[in-house]
Amino acid sequence: AALSCRYVLCEVVSEDPRCRQCIEDRAVGLAVRDAVGRVHGDYGLACCSISFTVKYLNAYTGTVLLRCRKDSYRLLCSALPFVRQLESRNQRYPCSLNTLHVGGTIRTCQKFLIQYNRRQLLMLLQNCTNEEERRCVQKSLLSCSLTEEQSQSGDEEDDDGPE
Amino acid sequence: ARPAGRMARAEPPAAAFERRVLRSAAEHHYLRVRLELPDGGARPSVAQFKQLVVSALRELHGEVGAALPVDVLTYEEKTLSAILRVVSSGLVKLWSALTLLGFYQNRRCAFRVLQVKPCGAGWLPPNVSSRSKVVW
Repeated sequence: AALSCRYVLCEVVSEDPRCRQCIEDRAVGLAVRDAVGRVHGDYGLACCSISFTVKYLNAYTGTVLLRCRKDSYRLLCSALPFVRQLESRNQRYPCSLNTLHVGGTIRTCQKFLIQYNRRQLLMLLQNCTNEEERRCVQKSLLSCSLTEEQSQSGDEEDDDGPE
Repeated sequence: ARPAGRMARAEPPAAAFERRVLRSAAEHHYLRVRLELPDGGARPSVAQFKQLVVSALRELHGEVGAALPVDVLTYEEKTLSAILRVVSSGLVKLWSALTLLGFYQNRRCAFRVLQVKPCGAGWLPPNVSSRSKVVW
């Protein structure tokens, strides 16, 4: 694994529910790169930009998966707390990023995310106010699993196409 | 590194470079630098000089770089030369930031790093010790 990458899993936390509509790859990517540029300057920005991309995001849960080189993941992670807002289509909303997990492959992050989401659902279950909600949440909980697919060859490990 | 004598006005000699490695880790590194302003103009005061150094660090290394403890131990406005002191862990950041600085108040400029030493003793002018109060 000569060109190793690190995958950083984080969640977007915002008090404003309208922030969800800004959770898209371009807006998040720009916000993260802007924060890295402010905190670590031109050098840090250039380092982190090699192989940097937003690999996955989920606007409903606010989950974001970022990829960067192994050599610069510390620069990236230390700049994430400095993301203050997301901007998209001339709308900007304040938010912050919580780092949940850093892994070497997408698969490890995915496994972690499933466990994490299961725990979140359990907490939601405890806070359910009526029977209807309870049943919905219980159904989601019971259907959490990692399904093994036949074709595994295209799966992460070393995601280093020219970028 | 030995200085190559006072730089003659005529033609700068080919850069002589001497490197001595000291085994014991030093706390601070000292840089003798000179700012060149080929297009002339007003010379920066010591405060503006320090501001320039910090802004160079901020550009290349961000807020983390700008927060690096750098001190201007001596400054000579006439020749624009100074002795800077920096925590040893920040030497590379400072040196690279000075090297890549190109403009001061929209005028071309260049920092010449003449000497770098891990130990200030016996090198600073007699009335400045390595523990003296900083100029800025």
